[in-house]
Amino acid sequence: MFDRSPVLTWAPMRWIWIDKFAEFESGHRAVAIKNVTLAEDHLHDHFPGFPIMPECLMIEAMAQTSGILVGEARGFREKVILAKISKAVFFDYVRPGDSLRIETQITTMAVEAASTSGRITRADQIIAEIDLMFSHVDRNLAGMKFPEENFVFSGTFTSLLRDVALNHKRPAEQRLESG
Amino acid sequence: MGRDRDEIFQKIRGVLVDALGVDEDEVTPEATLMGDLGAESIDFLDIVFRLEKAFAIKVPREELFPAESLLNNPELVSNGKLTAKGLAELRERVPHTNLSGFEKNPDISKLADLFTVNAIVTYIDGRLNAG
Amino acid sequence: MKFVLIDKIVSLEKGKRLTAVKCVSLAEEYLADHFPTFPVLPGVLLLEGLVESASWLVRMTQDFACSMVLLEQARNVKYKSFVSPGSQIEYTVEAKAIDRNTSSFVGYGVAGGQEIVEARLGLRHFNLADRDPAMATVDSQVIQQMRNRYDLLSQQV
Repeated sequence: MFDRSPVLTWAPMRWIWIDKFAEFESGHRAVAIKNVTLAEDHLHDHFPGFPIMPECLMIEAMAQTSGILVGEARGFREKVILAKISKAVFFDYVRPGDSLRIETQITTMAVEAASTSGRITRADQIIAEIDLMFSHVDRNLAGMKFPEENFVFSGTFTSLLRDVALNHKRPAEQRLESG
Repeated sequence: MGRDRDEIFQKIRGVLVDALGVDEDEVTPEATLMGDLGAESIDFLDIVFRLEKAFAIKVPREELFPAESLLNNPELVSNGKLTAKGLAELRERVPHTNLSGFEKNPDISKLADLFTVNAIVTYIDGRLNAG
Repeated sequence: MKFVLIDKIVSLEKGKRLTAVKCVSLAEEYLADHFPTFPVLPGVLLLEGLVESASWLVRMTQDFACSMVLLEQARNVKYKSFVSPGSQIEYTVEAKAIDRNTSSFVGYGVAGGQEIVEARLGLRHFNLADRDPAMATVDSQVIQQMRNRYDLLSQQV
């Protein structure tokens, strides 16, 4: 299921913007954690002299948390991708040493798409509110060619998904293979 | 008891502002969803999801936005216009839109113009007052 | 990763409009994960391209008055197609308003004649010294770095 011949076999950075799941209620809601550290290269470009987490990467952290929640609800059978950011509003900036809590819930689940609503907090302070829509790729982008396998939920997320398999409240319908 | 049409319009306006990121004053009754407000396929889904929540009803997407399946059917469309069968199909699916102008020249590129904010208000009004 | 998501500013009308291009290359490390067997530029990095474009328009319009130029809100960001390595995206942002501490834009990206992304953006801009005067030196450092980066992006170096 995971890790089919990738284009590149050497990946010095991982496109993973969450560190672990703190809570996971299958088909309903999830909470993930993202730690922000000076060890992350990109902070040094944004901005040189005053590093802060780019807002777009906070959106990605929410997209990964929500995307896994939506994908898992469908047994990871479908390729679920971000189709629309309905709204993303930011209330403060985030610095190295901050730990973010990314909380999301599924607001609608339909055959062609799903919508989620969530917020990012730092301790008790709200940092962002982010509402997203995910689309079932094969159904909604007719005429485009995609690889057969589910390239979305690949080996990248294996360690995170182990948390999901252990923590969620519904028995797993599919065994998650280790990468 | 029926809901006031104006109250329905205001709630729908709120939905469209949230779903399409437009300003409140852009959402006039005559505004077309696709032309004026920039709505596309993914937005139609977003709008349907939010309408369902706002009015606590189930909205089959086909009832509100039937264009897509109509346009893909060769029996219903010919040379860029709806056939008589296509028109009949459309009339049946969207009793909430005003087809009199469109029927004179059923050019499918004008189909999108039928879907106005008013059409949604009429649809929701009909659903809520159907009892 | 190098967090600069545009490569060249092509045109700029202060207070009004900016266009920029970004080339997508397999050399970009995150493509290995996004996705294995189907590398495409992540949607949030398309948005970042628009945010950076709008930010440069703010900085140039205000003559780099503010060190911090941040995304305050993004609305109705729609992804219409994918961009693969070897493609070039052209971003356009048009200002609706640029005030001292806030600004709003509509933006879109096109690659190979195809629409890729569109968004409504609101930015906020300020100096760290606005809240803490001791940060004035940091503001100057950031502003100088951003001026240098602008020279690079507008290819005036």
